Amino acid sequence: MQFEWLCRKNTLHRFDLQHYPSEASGSRFRQKVYRRSRLWHQDLPDLIKDKPEFDALSADNPFVLMTGPLTGMRINAVARWTVGSKSPLTGLWGESNIGGYFGAELKFAGYDGIVITGKADKPTYIYIEDDTVELKDSHKYWGEDVYTVNDEIISDHKGESKRHGQVLTIGPAGENLVRFASIASNKGHVAGRTGMGAVWGAKKLKAIFVRGTGKLEVAHPDRLDKLRAELKELYDGNITIEGLRAFGTASHMDVGIISGDIPMKNWQQTDWEKFDEIGPIAYGEKILTGNRTCYACGVMCKRQAEVKEGPFKFDKGPGPEYETIAAFGTMCLNSSLESIGKANDICNRYGIDTITCGSTIAFAIECFENGLINEKDTDGLNLTWGNSEAIVAIAEKIGKREGFGLILSEGSARAAEHIGGNASDFLTTVKGLEAPMHDPRSAPGYGLAYAVTPRGACHTASPIYPIEGGGMYLPEIPELADEITGMSSEGKAKLNIACQDFGMFFSNCAVFCNLGAMILNATQAVDMVNHVTGFDYTIKELMHLGRRIWYLKRGLSNLFGARANNERLPARLLTPMETGPTQGSVPDMDLMLKEFYQLRGFNDDGVPKREVLEELGLSELASLLYQG
Amino acid sequence: MGLFESSEKFEEVLGGFFRLVADTPSVADKLLASKLIIRFTYKDPDVVLLIDCSGDKLDIRPGDTETKADVEMSMSADIAHKFWFGKVNLMAALTRRQMVAKGPIPKILKLLPAIKPTYAMYPKYLDENGYGQYNIY
Repeated sequence: MQFEWLCRKNTLHRFDLQHYPSEASGSRFRQKVYRRSRLWHQDLPDLIKDKPEFDALSADNPFVLMTGPLTGMRINAVARWTVGSKSPLTGLWGESNIGGYFGAELKFAGYDGIVITGKADKPTYIYIEDDTVELKDSHKYWGEDVYTVNDEIISDHKGESKRHGQVLTIGPAGENLVRFASIASNKGHVAGRTGMGAVWGAKKLKAIFVRGTGKLEVAHPDRLDKLRAELKELYDGNITIEGLRAFGTASHMDVGIISGDIPMKNWQQTDWEKFDEIGPIAYGEKILTGNRTCYACGVMCKRQAEVKEGPFKFDKGPGPEYETIAAFGTMCLNSSLESIGKANDICNRYGIDTITCGSTIAFAIECFENGLINEKDTDGLNLTWGNSEAIVAIAEKIGKREGFGLILSEGSARAAEHIGGNASDFLTTVKGLEAPMHDPRSAPGYGLAYAVTPRGACHTASPIYPIEGGGMYLPEIPELADEITGMSSEGKAKLNIACQDFGMFFSNCAVFCNLGAMILNATQAVDMVNHVTGFDYTIKELMHLGRRIWYLKRGLSNLFGARANNERLPARLLTPMETGPTQGSVPDMDLMLKEFYQLRGFNDDGVPKREVLEELGLSELASLLYQG
Repeated sequence: MGLFESSEKFEEVLGGFFRLVADTPSVADKLLASKLIIRFTYKDPDVVLLIDCSGDKLDIRPGDTETKADVEMSMSADIAHKFWFGKVNLMAALTRRQMVAKGPIPKILKLLPAIKPTYAMYPKYLDENGYGQYNIY
């Protein structure tokens, strides 16, 4: 089958829309697996070649939404898809991974992805129903929160079809250009990291509504059924999956506390006497109302929560995930699970990344506690450790970009510049992105991953977190089959590289869920893709493909200015603990970076050498990086 | 050959530690709340230890292979020893089947916060009871 994609341009609002019809079978997979980043440097060449310095919040910034070949299949842990653009938070390559139902619905409508360029003149939403693609006025939704818009758009299109459709939207934070604004679907499925919501806000794009009536085809249904049966046995009774089913991602609280993985008090502690007050058991007792899931996924790791009365009252809706509990809880020494639920509700409704928001608040608390700011700066808020009311209040101010929230809505790195003094000592950012809630002092490979990942401190760009953390085992890949060497930094560069190469295939392109698909081995993952698409890829071929994608993303961040001096962990993450599970442990960044640069073929500036890129068939990227 | 020279010695060391845990109310009360009966089956050297949390007091029964257990845990003696120092990557051990857990997983996971304080108790117990040669950390 010939590879082709249709491109329709609608200039109604100087707002260009390209949409990609799905292939009937998987015969375009070879192109698709690296399409999102490839689109950037090949299909939008003028943009990258002529002005890589463009502002992420300008009309020049293209936005790419792309599903994977498995999205929409009735299989556990494959409902995910991805978005990518230049990040308003970091100024580098930005991307985020999201689950839920929207990706599947887009496939049912007949599209693999959407590329959005330009900027609308007025608030707009994209309406997609099978072959119908229109830009519509979104004035009535502008200013509304994520939950309201989701319900209103579905209601407004009710009765037009038997299917109610799916909505992807931003909230007021995205409209207000909060640099870590998110994009959300079905209320609780969120592309949180790197500020993709602000890219939409800058384009005046409020939402995408999609409704599809098509069906997806599978190249080898019998083979896929056989694999499904094999995987059913694997999933039933597996301790990781059962933990996720029973407690959601909060199950990590009880595992992470043992290894010292959970940052506390802005990364200054690994234990806390009030920890159990916000653990998974307390979650069940205090705020849990039920479970949620993504399309066709039996893992059901998502939670529903509610607080019926009191200062942190919120209606039943998506509950906080592990990262959110840690960001607003342990990081801020906040033992009120109800307030964490409320902060999560605020972030969901305004459309804000909870990791950056919670981390930025923890940073602000430390500035307050150290006298760099006071109540005059914080609009009267007593921003101290564990002050639940103040934490919730400032989260809302961030969403509104109001008062001190305006400063924090720029992210912690920019806020540190504004606050001055030694505020930067309290940062936990790499390349401007706040580190996720996993401590590299417990697993030094995370430290290297945070340093070198194209989008900044990130635990999901590759499976380094589940591999080094122990929940994932890929015995077919020699570099990943060895014993995990605990807190030693030896060999972690090699480990990271194998994780990156596999991860670009696994959770960036296929697109498997890093949690629900953690228990698959490499053979099972590759077989699934082959059975669906009809290809016969080997693990080695996909690792090679993954490597090319990794260099593409790396090259984009290099084009946007990332260099070796950006690849340092903040001092806070390199300060050894005096007690606890990680006592005395810090990642040996010099050792790991040296090995990594050598193995990846970087020059001293942190840019891939021309010959390395050319050998991988990335000559165009090499020309861009080495022009002049 | 594992770290422990005989089944008798491993049973003496770990059984003694479990009895210490049973006599430590801050930990034992949480385990008793689970009402679980847990059987640990160790290899190299071979030992079976059953912890009965179903009564009013933790009951440690070496060699009990008859009682119907809610949870069956199996692992090598060396992994078990390392675990009680808090030095085992629990997820890796379970994923790579160095530890195998069978039973109601949510209830097993609920035990993790309860046993966390025991990691600090184990090396101290070894030193204070003449087992210093096994204190490997």
